[in-house]
Amino acid sequence: MSAADQSRAAPASSKAQITERRRSDLARQQRIWGWIFLSPWLIGFTIFTAVPIFVSLIFTFMEFSLSSDAAPRFIGLDNWIKLFNDPVAINALGVTFRFALIAVPVGIILPLAMAALLNSKHLVGKILWRPLYYLPYMVPAISSIFIWQAFLNGQTGWLNRVLRGIGIQEPPNWFQNESTILFAFLLMGVWGIGNSMLTMLATMQGVPTELYEAAEVDGAGAFTKFRSITLPMISPVIFYNLVLSVIGIMQYFVVPYVITRGTGNPNNSAYFFNMHLYKTSFTFFDMGYGSTQAWFIFIIALVLTVVLFGTSRRWVYYASGE
Amino acid sequence: MASITQPRISPAVNTSPFYSAQLRKFAVKAMVTMLALLVAIAYLLPFGNMALISIKSADQISGSTDNNILPLSPQLYEYEGESYEVYNIPQADGTVAQWALVDKGRQSSGFIDPANPEAGLIEWQGSWRTLESVYVYDPHPENFAEAWDLINFPRLFFNTLFIAVVGMIGTLLSSICVAYAFARFPIPGKNVMFLILIGTIILPSQVTLIPTYAFFASIGWTGTWLPLIVPHFFANAYNVFLLRQFFMTLPRELDEAAMIDGAGPFRVLMAIIIPQSWPAIISVGLFHFIFAWNDYFGPLIYLLGKPDLVPQATSIMAMVLPLLIFVLAQKIFMRGVVVTGVDK
Amino acid sequence: MSRKPLFSVMMVLVLALVVGAVLPTAAQEKVTITWFVGLGTGTNSEQIAIQEQVVADFNASQSEIELVLNIAASNETSRDTLSTLLAAGTPPDIVGPVGVAGSNSFADQWADVQPLVDAAGFDLSVFDPALVELYRNADGTLGGLPFAVYPAVTYYNTDLFDEAGLEYPPAEFGAPYVLDGEEVPWNYDTVAEIAKILTVDANGNDATSPDFDPAAIEQFGVNFQWARIRLIWTNLQPSSYYDAATNTINVPDEWRAASQWYWDRIWVDNTAPNATYAASEVLQPSAFASGNLGISIVPLWYTCCLDSSVGNFNWNIAPVPASFDGEQNVAMDADTFRIVDASPNKDAAFVVLQYLVNDAAPTLATAYGAFPALPAAQDAWVESISTRYPLDINWSVAGASLAYANPGPLHHETNVPNYTQAYDREFSLLSLIESDSGATIDLNAEIDLFEADVQAIVGAPTE
Repeated sequence: MSAADQSRAAPASSKAQITERRRSDLARQQRIWGWIFLSPWLIGFTIFTAVPIFVSLIFTFMEFSLSSDAAPRFIGLDNWIKLFNDPVAINALGVTFRFALIAVPVGIILPLAMAALLNSKHLVGKILWRPLYYLPYMVPAISSIFIWQAFLNGQTGWLNRVLRGIGIQEPPNWFQNESTILFAFLLMGVWGIGNSMLTMLATMQGVPTELYEAAEVDGAGAFTKFRSITLPMISPVIFYNLVLSVIGIMQYFVVPYVITRGTGNPNNSAYFFNMHLYKTSFTFFDMGYGSTQAWFIFIIALVLTVVLFGTSRRWVYYASGE
Repeated sequence: MASITQPRISPAVNTSPFYSAQLRKFAVKAMVTMLALLVAIAYLLPFGNMALISIKSADQISGSTDNNILPLSPQLYEYEGESYEVYNIPQADGTVAQWALVDKGRQSSGFIDPANPEAGLIEWQGSWRTLESVYVYDPHPENFAEAWDLINFPRLFFNTLFIAVVGMIGTLLSSICVAYAFARFPIPGKNVMFLILIGTIILPSQVTLIPTYAFFASIGWTGTWLPLIVPHFFANAYNVFLLRQFFMTLPRELDEAAMIDGAGPFRVLMAIIIPQSWPAIISVGLFHFIFAWNDYFGPLIYLLGKPDLVPQATSIMAMVLPLLIFVLAQKIFMRGVVVTGVDK
Repeated sequence: MSRKPLFSVMMVLVLALVVGAVLPTAAQEKVTITWFVGLGTGTNSEQIAIQEQVVADFNASQSEIELVLNIAASNETSRDTLSTLLAAGTPPDIVGPVGVAGSNSFADQWADVQPLVDAAGFDLSVFDPALVELYRNADGTLGGLPFAVYPAVTYYNTDLFDEAGLEYPPAEFGAPYVLDGEEVPWNYDTVAEIAKILTVDANGNDATSPDFDPAAIEQFGVNFQWARIRLIWTNLQPSSYYDAATNTINVPDEWRAASQWYWDRIWVDNTAPNATYAASEVLQPSAFASGNLGISIVPLWYTCCLDSSVGNFNWNIAPVPASFDGEQNVAMDADTFRIVDASPNKDAAFVVLQYLVNDAAPTLATAYGAFPALPAAQDAWVESISTRYPLDINWSVAGASLAYANPGPLHHETNVPNYTQAYDREFSLLSLIESDSGATIDLNAEIDLFEADVQAIVGAPTE
């Protein structure tokens, strides 16, 4: 862009003109290369993704029931009006946000701490710890639900056995209790945090060692080094994990759906927005209203993402510039 | 390790004898490692719980409220062709007898003393429910063999491996290119396109399922592996995002130096960007592999009616392969670090 | 310009095409009929093998039709899968086995088989006419052919009856029960009484004892395993809450009384397990199968899940207790195969349907653990189930129950508009009664609320 501006205001000197032309040629060439490298996604998006997304947007203005053989019917904004007057949907959105408020910070800080631990030069036996921490992430979702149903079982689960062992008389029935069920989901989430940890660890290991050496010369301690070198250097990946965990929680669904058997009980305290969306679409077969809910949560998550991108200018450091 | 730097001895430490510095270093190592061990134990507890349950029989799992942590079964005694549970019965003289409960009753029950079955039924007053069972250790490792037999392992293994590996190659090739484009090239409208890319993972997939399925059905790809493989050759938003973030942590100096030496963008990617990014690329490869290995719904719907093609890895035992790959990938992971450490 | 990146993109495309070419593509001349399995039973590996054999036998028996089996991977996802197939315009031709409730979810999608029956000259009289009428819709169309029926029966644990010194439930319809040496009618009052004696705490006190501890129950008296509330209501007294003529919802008094009866068992007598007990170790894998429940009133399909009883405890089946009105009525689940209305080959699909409900019925019913609607196939079922449960069980109760089947309009799964949402609301009413907060609810007010909600679900009343 700036190259183009400069070429328009070309100085008289012919030598300078040549350099300018070369520079603008270079910028044009760079753009072309950019499009070439981008093309796999552009093609894939056009063929596989764009049409289904567009069709689902159309559904939001239709009455479209999977259980009837009637053709979909255009109903304008009825689905949207229904959504804003649906107390169940509003409550489900509240549950989702309440969970996000704890799960997002924990989902960033904990893997960061674990990655720092695994990256510590004082740690003995890294080759052993890494797979152990990563192991739970590899467990298929359904299996991990079975594991946690057993682990958090009120009477026989090991967690409550441990709690009783340290003197807590009546540990809670985690999944049956309104005040503990979200915390139980949080524990399950923390267990499967291996991928965030791994991306942070991978980036930490890419931080040039000279930076630390230089800081040590200046007498920086471990904490200062972590705060002023490691954190900024891996901030792009922290940002990545932040965006994905916000999106992930807006779509949080499988765990509460399977554990509460689709009810969101006790007392709807675990009825997440996407459960409502899933039930509307595939239990009640109301695809039009289900798509409306999907687009609603899409818009919320998109706004949050845009806000995060806006703030990223202040705290994400890109070594490559930009 | 990448950073083999001697600890600098500060003036304060310098006054103490040399072994104290050594000791301090050892203490720090011990503390850090102990912390790692604690975290690992916390992470493994749920597995331990599952492991002990997995060697229990259905009866041992149901049992009563005072459930045992180990796979214990009540001791049985054979009497006249039937088996009966053995209980601890406190005697008047303070000893405890172990008798088999043969005839259950509400007010009194009939027991047999295994040491002296000829004596016949011993009538005991009281409720048998207040008595304690005699337990014996009785694990059921055959549960694993049975679960193993339920899966057609060779077929599952081949199908899953093929889908996962081909998809992984596809997503790596395409996502690296696209991430490189987003990270390094001045494309007009780049930011908007990047937001669209992220947008494709924000929209809940439940609502695009039917149009997507209809599309694949209309081009005749249902009942084949194509819907599970081909889209991965056109980049995936999660992977592009991660790689783009990682590429942007790399300073441009090396790219520019190479370009001055006459390298084209492709050569810069191959010779400069990729060698510095092995940890991230391996992460992406692993993520895709685990995703494809554990993908449940995709195969379910696209391979309906083609049981021979279905890769189904819902069993916890199917984790063995990803774990193995992770352990092996660790080595490359480490090598990647060494490369970046030394080259600079 | 270097060609390398273009080259790599092309390589990718070529690779994708090669992968496509290697994979099999089907080309057929015969009429292909797809049979979708998964809305009910039929998805476990032994059943899959038997169904594959049935398909192979059918394909070998004629040359016009190629039957293809589509098995959804699990019960939970089968509805999503089927709805996707229907919505994407790639429907299967035959769906089943599927129960009444499972069919209601797709109520508009089924073909009327009456014209197909007439065209093929199929003789419906091979079935009990009452069973055919079960599939007859209000508008006279026929939704399917009878295949498997599951009358509700009384499962009882004979060991627990022995320990308590109780007589067994009667073996025949109309026979009395003997309680404390006196003959009493076999009805729900009697069940409530003996359930107290069958409910025992950790100290061995039963629910009639003043020392009974409701917090430490180790054995329960009665439940309705996995029942929805409409089935519980219908067991206690057949009735209906929906009037199709006026599109109104009105929970009848006898169903309010039935709700009270069940609530009293859970929260007054403590003889039926609440949700917390039902989920506890005492009652796993399911209440009756744990050996710690005296009586369970469940349709016959519960034989699916009692394998843990073999070698551990003895049980038997008896007729269901008489309803509140003193009459003998039997609620009955029924599975069938349905033809999808959108199928382009309904005639060919009907040929397959006849094969499934006739020739293949003995094999399939046995595989599904279903009691065959076809009288000729019932002996094979008894033989097979007796091998599975060598406990000297009074299987004749199953056949005898058919004569007392509730007629279609009083079926516990009669369709209502927006069935799945009404179903969901029924589920939450039952969950509320059984959950910990159920102990303190105003039951009648909750039913009023339920009535209003379901009315909103089915839409405004007509005239």
